[in-house]
Amino acid sequence: MAEHIKNNNPKGLVCPFCSLHCDDIVVSTNNEKFTLINTNNVKCSTRIESFNINKRSLFVPRIKNIETTISSALNKTKKEIIKNNEILVLNHGTDMSGIRSILNFASNHNAIIDHVNSKFLHQNIGVVQRTGYMATSLMEVKNRADLIVIFGNDILDKTPRLLDKIFLSSNSLWTKNSKKEIILVGEFSSRTVAKIKKKCSVINIKIKLDLIPEFIKTIDSCKTNKDLKISNNTIIKVNKIVKKAKYMVATWSASDFTKTSNAEIIISSIAKFIVEINNYRRAACLPISGNLGDATSSQVLTWTTGFPSCLKYLNGSFGHDKNSFNGLELIKNKNIELVIHINSLSMNKLELDSKLTNIVIGHPNSKFSSIPDIFIPIGIPGIDHRGIMFRTDNVVSVHLKKIRDIKLPTLKYIFDGLI
Amino acid sequence: MIIQLKSGIVFDPANKIFNKEKDIFIKNGKIIDRSDLNKKIDRVINCKDKIVMPGAIDLHTHIGGGKVNIARLMLEEFHIENHDRFDSSTIIAPSTFKTGLKYIEMGYTTCFEPALLPINARQAHSEMADIPFIDKGGYALLGNDDYFLELLRKKVSQPVINDYVAFILKATQSIGIKVVNPGGINAFKFNQRALNVDEKSKYYNITPRDIISKLSKAIYDLGVPHPLHVHCSNLGIPGNFLSTIETIKAANGLPIHLTQIQFQSYGNNGDKRFSSAAVEISEYLNKIDNLTCDVGQIMFGQTVTMSGDSMAQHRNHKHAHPNKWMCMDIECDAGCGVVPFKYSDKSFVNALQWAIGLEIFLLAEDPWKVFLTTDHPNGAPFTSYPHLIKLLMDKSFRNDILHQLPKEILKHTILHTLKREYTLNEIAIMTRAAPAKILGLDKKGNLSNGSDADITIYDKKENDIEKMFSRPTLVIKDGHVVVENGKIKKYIWGKTHTVKPEYDTSIEKSLDKFFNKYHTMKLENYIIEDEEMNTLIGNQIIVNKCKYKRKQ
Repeated sequence: MAEHIKNNNPKGLVCPFCSLHCDDIVVSTNNEKFTLINTNNVKCSTRIESFNINKRSLFVPRIKNIETTISSALNKTKKEIIKNNEILVLNHGTDMSGIRSILNFASNHNAIIDHVNSKFLHQNIGVVQRTGYMATSLMEVKNRADLIVIFGNDILDKTPRLLDKIFLSSNSLWTKNSKKEIILVGEFSSRTVAKIKKKCSVINIKIKLDLIPEFIKTIDSCKTNKDLKISNNTIIKVNKIVKKAKYMVATWSASDFTKTSNAEIIISSIAKFIVEINNYRRAACLPISGNLGDATSSQVLTWTTGFPSCLKYLNGSFGHDKNSFNGLELIKNKNIELVIHINSLSMNKLELDSKLTNIVIGHPNSKFSSIPDIFIPIGIPGIDHRGIMFRTDNVVSVHLKKIRDIKLPTLKYIFDGLI
Repeated sequence: MIIQLKSGIVFDPANKIFNKEKDIFIKNGKIIDRSDLNKKIDRVINCKDKIVMPGAIDLHTHIGGGKVNIARLMLEEFHIENHDRFDSSTIIAPSTFKTGLKYIEMGYTTCFEPALLPINARQAHSEMADIPFIDKGGYALLGNDDYFLELLRKKVSQPVINDYVAFILKATQSIGIKVVNPGGINAFKFNQRALNVDEKSKYYNITPRDIISKLSKAIYDLGVPHPLHVHCSNLGIPGNFLSTIETIKAANGLPIHLTQIQFQSYGNNGDKRFSSAAVEISEYLNKIDNLTCDVGQIMFGQTVTMSGDSMAQHRNHKHAHPNKWMCMDIECDAGCGVVPFKYSDKSFVNALQWAIGLEIFLLAEDPWKVFLTTDHPNGAPFTSYPHLIKLLMDKSFRNDILHQLPKEILKHTILHTLKREYTLNEIAIMTRAAPAKILGLDKKGNLSNGSDADITIYDKKENDIEKMFSRPTLVIKDGHVVVENGKIKKYIWGKTHTVKPEYDTSIEKSLDKFFNKYHTMKLENYIIEDEEMNTLIGNQIIVNKCKYKRKQ
C-alpha cells in the first residue's frame, strides 16, 4: 500500500532523478499523475514530471513491440538467456535493491555487469586508486565553504539545485553568501554568472578545460602564463582568494572532461592542488557523479565484490576487468550476444544495437534507438516503490518513498522470476 | 529439529564451566536443557575430544560503512593479487561476502562495527545486511557533530544530552555510542591540527574532557549496557599514554571502554623518543573497576588503516604504503580517513607496537576487562586472531618471534620477562563471555538454557593452537550447522542488535529546526525506522534491554 496515496494531499518526494536526491520536494497526485507544487526550479519540475505516464498501454510488456503478458515476457526472456552464451546486464540506473537483484541474477547466469557511465566513474575512482585525495560532503560545503571553484559547467545542468540549495544557501552555519567567493573555470553562460553575482562574489576564468592543470599551476605559483590568456591582475586576485579561504571546495563532473584530451590528468591536478592546500589550510574536493544511480551502483557493487563496475561472475565469484567487461565496448565490438538493459531512471534514448538481442527492463516511458526484442515495464524507485539510493558525495544514502500506485513490478520481482 | 552435542569438553565461562565434559542440546535455534527434551533427538554429534565454546564475539571490527568501502575501492591491486576460493577481494578490505565467510570459518558468530557515522548509518547497515551468517551491530559516533558540540557550548542540562544520545541510538539503529578523538575531528575542520584532553577547541571552546564526561554520563543515565566506547585523543603519538590516562579520569569513575588501547599506550622515552607505556596503562586497567579495553594488536604485513579520526589520519598519510590515501569531512557529523599501511618487522617502531600490544594483554589481571582485537583492519585483518591467540598461549612461540625483531627493542619492552601463558578458559572469557557481558547480550557468549545456539567446536587433538582456532570442526549459528570440517554447509543471515533507551521526544523539535535550516535532508528521512531496517535494508533487528529505566 502506498504510504502517501490516501488522497490528493501534498506528498513528500525524495527525488531519484539526480545525484543530489533532494527530499524537500512536494508533489500533488491526481489519479496516476503527479505535479510538483513547491519548487520554482523549472529544470527539476520538467525532468521529474516527464516520468508521468499518459497511456496505460505503456504498462504492458512487449515482445518485438507486440503486447504480451508479464509471464510470456518472462518466459521469452528465460529462453533468450538459455540460448545466448554471453550475457551483459547494462545498468542505466536503479536503486540499491535493483543492484542486489542484478548481482543475484548475474551470479546465477555467469553474466557481465556494467554501468553505462562506468567510464566517468573510473576517471574519478582512478584518483583514489592512484594517489587519493581530500573529499567533502554536501552539508559541509553548504555550511563551511567560503570559496567554491567550479571546474566546468556540466554540474549546474546535471544537478540543477546545487547552486541554490548548497553553494548559495541562505542558511549556513559559518559562511554568509556576501562573504563567499565562487570561481567558475570554463565556459559559463552570462545568465549563470549574473545569477551568482546577485548573491556573492564571482570570477569566471574563461579557459578551455584542457588548460585546468596549467591554470592550477599558475594560480599556485602566482606567475604569468601566456598560454592561459589570463591577466596578471586576475592571477594575483585568484591567488589571494585561494590563500585567504578557510575552507575551499573544488567541484567538477567527470563527464565534463570527456571533451578534453585527458580527463584523468585534469582530475589528478585538482586533487593534488587540494591535497597541498591542506598542508596549511583546509580544502576539499566534491566530485559530482552521474544521475543514473552511478553512486548507488558503485557503492553496492564495491561492498559486495570489491570492485565498482565491469564485473563478470566466473567460477563461483565475481572477477573484474575494466577492458574485457566494459559494457559499451562489448556492445561496440559485438563481443556479446544478449544485452539486458536496466533503466529505472533515464529519459535518454537507450542506444540498442539491433544486431544483438536486446531486452529492456525499464520504466514505462523508456525510449530506444530501435525496438527491443523484449520490453518489460517496471516501476521507478522513489515514484512507484520505495528504495535506497546514494547521493553524489557517496556518504549519504536516502530512503526513497512511494508516491504513485500503478502496480508496476520492481526490478527485483522481474529478476526473481528469471532465476 | 533437535541436535545433541555429545560428550564435548565445554568451556562456558559465563556459567563457570571450564574444561568439563558435558552434553548440549539445541532446539529451534536455542540451547535447551536436557530436562526440556520432549521429542526425539534428530541428530547426535559426537564431540568426544572436541572443545565446545559459545560462538566468538568481535566487539570492535570495521566491517561496514563508508570508510570500509573507500578502502575496498582504493585497494584494487590487492584484490587482483588475492583470488581465493571465496572471491578476489583482499582480506585487508574484504567484500561483505568474504567478511561473513571468513568470520564463520573461524567460529565467530557476532561482530560489531565500531564507527557508524549517524549520517552514514543507512549505508553501514545495508553493507552489514549483505554479510552472511553473523549477527552484527554498530556504535554510533558522537562527540564531533556540530549539533552536539553546540549543545555543550550552550551548557544545556545533562538530561538534554541524554535525550540526544538516546535519539541517535534509535535513529541509527545502534547498540552503543563511540567517540573518536573527542572534538578533534571537528576541530580539524576548523584547521586545528591537534587537540589534547584539556585543550579547548578554537571554535566551540570545549575540551575533549567535557565531551567524555557528558557522553559517559549520558550512557550511564540511559542504562545502555555498553559503556562509552572511546578512541582517545592523540592516536599514535609518542607520549600519548598521559592523555589516555586523562581520558580515563574524564569519565569520573563511570564505566568507559577504551578501544585499540595499544595505539594509545606510547611513551616518548629513549633515544628514539618512542617507548612502551603498557605498564602505566595496565596499572590503571587493573585498578579501575569500570574500565575495559580492546587491544588493537598489530601484526606484521600489509594492511589498511581506516578511522573516523580524520585529524590523525591526515597526520599519518605521509606513512601511507602504498602511497595513496583519502580523508573526508562528513556532513557536520564526523569525518574519516583511509591510509594503507605496512607494518614491518624490521622497523623499530612497528616492532615495539607489536610488543606493546602483547604487554597489555599479558599484564591484564582480569580477562573480563580486556578484549582480543586487532581493530580490523587497522592493526591486522581479523583472520590473524588464531595467530594472536597462539602468541598469548605459547610463551616460547612468542619469544621466538620477539628475538627475530630488531634487537634494540629488547631495551624498550618487558615482553621477554613476561612468563604468562593464557589458558583456554581465559581465551573463552575474552572472546565470548566478556564481550557478551559488556554489550548486554544475555543470549550470546554463553551456553545457558534459552541462549542462542551459536556454538563453535574445535578439535582438541589438533596440536597447533593456531590451527585449532583457525579451523573449527563445526560451527553452529542459530541452531544451524553452518560449517562442518571447514566446509560451508548452509547459508543463513544474522540479525542486528540494537538498544532503544527511552527519551523525551521534544528533542526532535529542536533537531527538526536544525535539519531544516542547516542539514541537507529532513529529519524524518534521516531516521532509520525499524520497518526500513527489516524490509529495505534487509536486517532484522533485535532490541536488547537497557540495564535499568533511565535515570534523570
